[in-house]
Amino acid sequence: MTRADVIIVGGGIMGCSIAYHLARRGMRRVVVLERSHIASGATGRCGAGVRMQWGTKPNCLVMKESIRILEGLEQELSYPHGIGFKQKGYLFLAHSKAQLIQFQKNVQLQNSLGIPSEIVSPKDMKRIAPLLDTTGVVGGSYCSKDGHCDPFHTTRAYALAATRLGATLLQYTELQSVTKSAEGTFKLTTSAGEIEAPVLVNAAGAWSGYVASMLGVNLPVYSERHQILVTEQVERVLDPMIISLHEGLYCQQTPDGSFIMGLGDPNEPKGLDQGHSWQFLFAVSKKISRLLPDITGVRILRQWSGLYNMSPDRQAVLGAVDDVPGLYVACGFSGHGFMMAPAVSESMADIILGNTPRVAIDVYGLDRFKNGNLFYEPAVV
Amino acid sequence: MRIERHPILTFTKGAKVQFYFEGEPLEGYEGEPIAAALHAAGIRCLRHSPVRNRPRGFFCAIGNCSSCLMVVDGVPNVRVCVEKLRAGMDVRRQKGKGDLNVSD
Ligand SMILES: Cc1cc2nc3c(=O)[nH]c(=O)nc-3n(C[C@H](O)[C@H](O)[C@H](O)COP(=O)(O)OP(=O)(O)OC[C@H]3O[C@@H](n4cnc5c(N)ncnc54)[C@H](O)[C@@H]3O)c2cc1C
Repeated sequence: MTRADVIIVGGGIMGCSIAYHLARRGMRRVVVLERSHIASGATGRCGAGVRMQWGTKPNCLVMKESIRILEGLEQELSYPHGIGFKQKGYLFLAHSKAQLIQFQKNVQLQNSLGIPSEIVSPKDMKRIAPLLDTTGVVGGSYCSKDGHCDPFHTTRAYALAATRLGATLLQYTELQSVTKSAEGTFKLTTSAGEIEAPVLVNAAGAWSGYVASMLGVNLPVYSERHQILVTEQVERVLDPMIISLHEGLYCQQTPDGSFIMGLGDPNEPKGLDQGHSWQFLFAVSKKISRLLPDITGVRILRQWSGLYNMSPDRQAVLGAVDDVPGLYVACGFSGHGFMMAPAVSESMADIILGNTPRVAIDVYGLDRFKNGNLFYEPAVV
Repeated sequence: MRIERHPILTFTKGAKVQFYFEGEPLEGYEGEPIAAALHAAGIRCLRHSPVRNRPRGFFCAIGNCSSCLMVVDGVPNVRVCVEKLRAGMDVRRQKGKGDLNVSD
């Protein structure tokens, strides 16, 4: 049996970034288990948008810090290829007065925390995104420092930095079962043999509920498929990410020139299905042709789907699992975990090591489901 | 040389028609792939690669490889190896990744 000081289940952005911060803080035998390759889960399938425009204070603070970290991450992780971080803004569309009032509240909160967002008129929006058809749009909110970041390179940058600091990344290694011994050690059976450690971090994304159930823990999360597509590349015509919460739609042009867009389906059943459908292509094409009529003729290259891990208040679930000492969880990101990872992973590492984190994340703790302190995030797509 | 048979498409060689390449009139047969008409006219460079600006010619011929993306009647990224020729078409070499026609 191999021994480690900590085992992290899941080689997505969360697992790899937590491994980096633990190794950087001097933890010696850090092991990441990933049943496929890194970023094979939601991370490598995501829209990769990164924003500070949130409707709850903790998310604003976490994301303000994440974006600050992303601005210097290539240097911090010594990743010469670059992580493709581009700050071209996020533009939220309000289709009704009520929605605009909610945006005004959000912007007020964001500004009070030092986030440079603003309420914009349809005329401003035409200037920010000339491609946008503002028919039926009453206004919106905009933050020029929001943007996009390459999920594959960001995950790889964290994974390489972690392994340089001595962490071990075991790809194509699946956790199959785990028990806790009387002395408090987690004993894991994997597809590549047995391994044990006193600390276990569940960063298994959509599968975190299943991993927790191996230890008899019931996490209040579920998973849900979200579909997405990418088009051929054209010269740059659209700077910001366009988001319509009303339509459940987002669309951005990546630095390489392709458009990436996704659409939430309110009737999507809970589950682990990662298939995709022609109905999605139909629905998203129709909606985007109305908002961005000039891109109607751009050809679709590929479609796929990934899984959101949802929590009841659409907020991440982070920290210690009190019933099982030594067990930690980072899941329930509800569709915005890629962007939160830079700040959250650092705080997770500090909590695991008993330090006080720079960015407090205790409001995301599991105890909120016991004492009823849910805090619903309104700005989710 | 005129390409008469295509690996996957069947096309009928219609009437002789005029079209334009970079603004110059050329002749081809209606219904043949645009690339076949260009090839018969001796045009080997169809575009330049977007990053290193290298000349790109007729390559996979089945609409897969992006070697023959051209601007046809103002629409970028048209795969001319699988797009049929019509009278009067305006065919141009694409610069970069192709410019969308953006309305005001
Ligand atoms: C379509 C779509 C669009 C999105 N858009 C955005 C966006 O714009 N911005 C944003 O911030 N977020 C976005 N998200 C959400 C984001 O992708 C996730 O919140 C984030 O990637 C979660 O990272 P993770 O590391 O927790 O999970 P994952 O990346 O899913 O990683 C979990 C890993 O655990 C592994 N694993 C599971 N079980 C086991 C086991 N038993 N043994 C070993 N390994 C195991 C899996 O293989 C997987 O690689 C989007 C998600 C989707 C699906």
